[in-house]
Amino acid sequence: MIELDGVAKTFDRTVCALQDVSFSVSAGSVCAVLGHNGAGKTTTIKILATLLRPTSGKAIVAGYDVVQQPAQVRASIGITGQLAALDEELTGRENLVLFSRLRGMRRKDAQRRADALIDEFDMSHAADRRVANYSVGMQRRIDIAAALVIPPKVLFLDEPTTGLDPRSRRAVWDTVSSLSAQGVTVLLTTQYLEEADVLSDSIVVIDHGRVIARGTADDLKHRVGFSYCTVSPVNPSDLSEIFAVVAHLEGAEADYEANTVSVLAPNGVATLSEVFRRVDQLGVELADISLRKPSLDEAFLHLTGSTTT
Amino acid sequence: MTALAALTERMILTTLRDDLPFAILAPIGNFLIFNLALRNLIDTGQMSYPQYVLPVVIIQVIFLGALITVDRAARDQLSEFGVRLRTLPLSAMTPLTARMLYCLLRGAVALVASIAVGYAFGFRMTGGLLCAAAFAVLALTFTLALSLAADAVGTGIAGAQIGRDGTASQLLLVPQMLLVMLSTGMAPVTSFPDWLHPFVQYQPVSQVTEALRGFANGHLEVGNLLISLAWCLGLLAVLGPIAVRMQRRTR
Repeated sequence: MIELDGVAKTFDRTVCALQDVSFSVSAGSVCAVLGHNGAGKTTTIKILATLLRPTSGKAIVAGYDVVQQPAQVRASIGITGQLAALDEELTGRENLVLFSRLRGMRRKDAQRRADALIDEFDMSHAADRRVANYSVGMQRRIDIAAALVIPPKVLFLDEPTTGLDPRSRRAVWDTVSSLSAQGVTVLLTTQYLEEADVLSDSIVVIDHGRVIARGTADDLKHRVGFSYCTVSPVNPSDLSEIFAVVAHLEGAEADYEANTVSVLAPNGVATLSEVFRRVDQLGVELADISLRKPSLDEAFLHLTGSTTT
Repeated sequence: MTALAALTERMILTTLRDDLPFAILAPIGNFLIFNLALRNLIDTGQMSYPQYVLPVVIIQVIFLGALITVDRAARDQLSEFGVRLRTLPLSAMTPLTARMLYCLLRGAVALVASIAVGYAFGFRMTGGLLCAAAFAVLALTFTLALSLAADAVGTGIAGAQIGRDGTASQLLLVPQMLLVMLSTGMAPVTSFPDWLHPFVQYQPVSQVTEALRGFANGHLEVGNLLISLAWCLGLLAVLGPIAVRMQRRTR
């Protein structure tokens, strides 16, 4: 449904935003493009949505080439950006009617479609207030609804949950899941590993404009390591002794500044109890021992295999 | 068509409310200032000064409206709403046409306000219905030409700092003032120094105001009418394609 082959984008001949990006998304699935700010996520979406021309390479959306057949691509997609693309002077309902009419619906049909979307997104309490007075979460919901006035084959969501509180984030997640269940192909970008994990069938990790990993969430998690076990002694001088007894474990690392020793915990609690047993034998007093999920930074470190990022 | 209607409606709903006071007050203010300040200073012969000056008041207000159009086109280009429009299966012409229809509507409001204030001070349309209609058509054609120019400029500068600031209109105020001041709109050509005559006589503001005065009186010089039409149609022929190109370029 979406295919990128060697897509590159260079701004002003010098700034290289994307280099040789290739991946594909099958129909009806959800793909998350994961990366830091400035990694090239938004540029990727803009190219797929015909807002930017790729400098080189080929991109196909819903069977159409984004450069050769932009009109057909536009007829097949819906997009929401990082900021709500609504007319703030109009109410939520008026915005939905407007976007329905922009897609060629007659006024009556547009009003009916707006009513249906308002119901579906549970916005009837606020539909007749001006969008300028909406919370960020409500704006985001109307914004997504506006991308769905005609059910798109492909939906692009650029950081759909950035800046949302946990409840609104959950609501957006539910929306994405139900769209996917209806057969819409979704490409979303996110900075959160957790979000990519929950929502997507496949993940593309990009960094500095390059794809550094592709696969299912499970694939990537396996490569990243499930989680870390971190130990912190009461007395910092015990740190090297602790490191010595766990040094043979995978990914062992001592951080003298933070006063912690970390090891990869592929077996979760079992690893934690082994670490505890070894440290306990030393008779060292511990301030903390815990399991934690890898941060996106740690994921990148693993995936790029370098410590320069 | 339904998309064009929807976009035009949106502009009328959200923008006209902001523009309406200006579209009405600007002609009244400009007319009062020109008339009070200059009516005893400038000799317009047989013709009363309100009768002489009203056309240039209309042109001045059309210019000021176009300056607003510059900033608005830049803002529309940059806004997330504008970005989303470019992801919809719409012709590049549709948003532009909607903006132009809106500019014509605002121009028509300003035209009615101008004529109303003119009437209060002695301006009269004495040429009959046909001439009055021609008066309106000429003024609106000039409005369209300037609006296309403004839209092209606004869209073109949207990427630059001045476009983001929304202050381009303040810079463009300078050439606008020069065109209006150095025209026969406010004073006959004899009140300008000799070396300026060719410019003052034939520049578009002079020719169009002269033609508007002719339509108001019902006495029109053919040469003047032809030059005015040439200016208006020439500007349309040049600026129209440029404005459309600007829309395409940004896609």
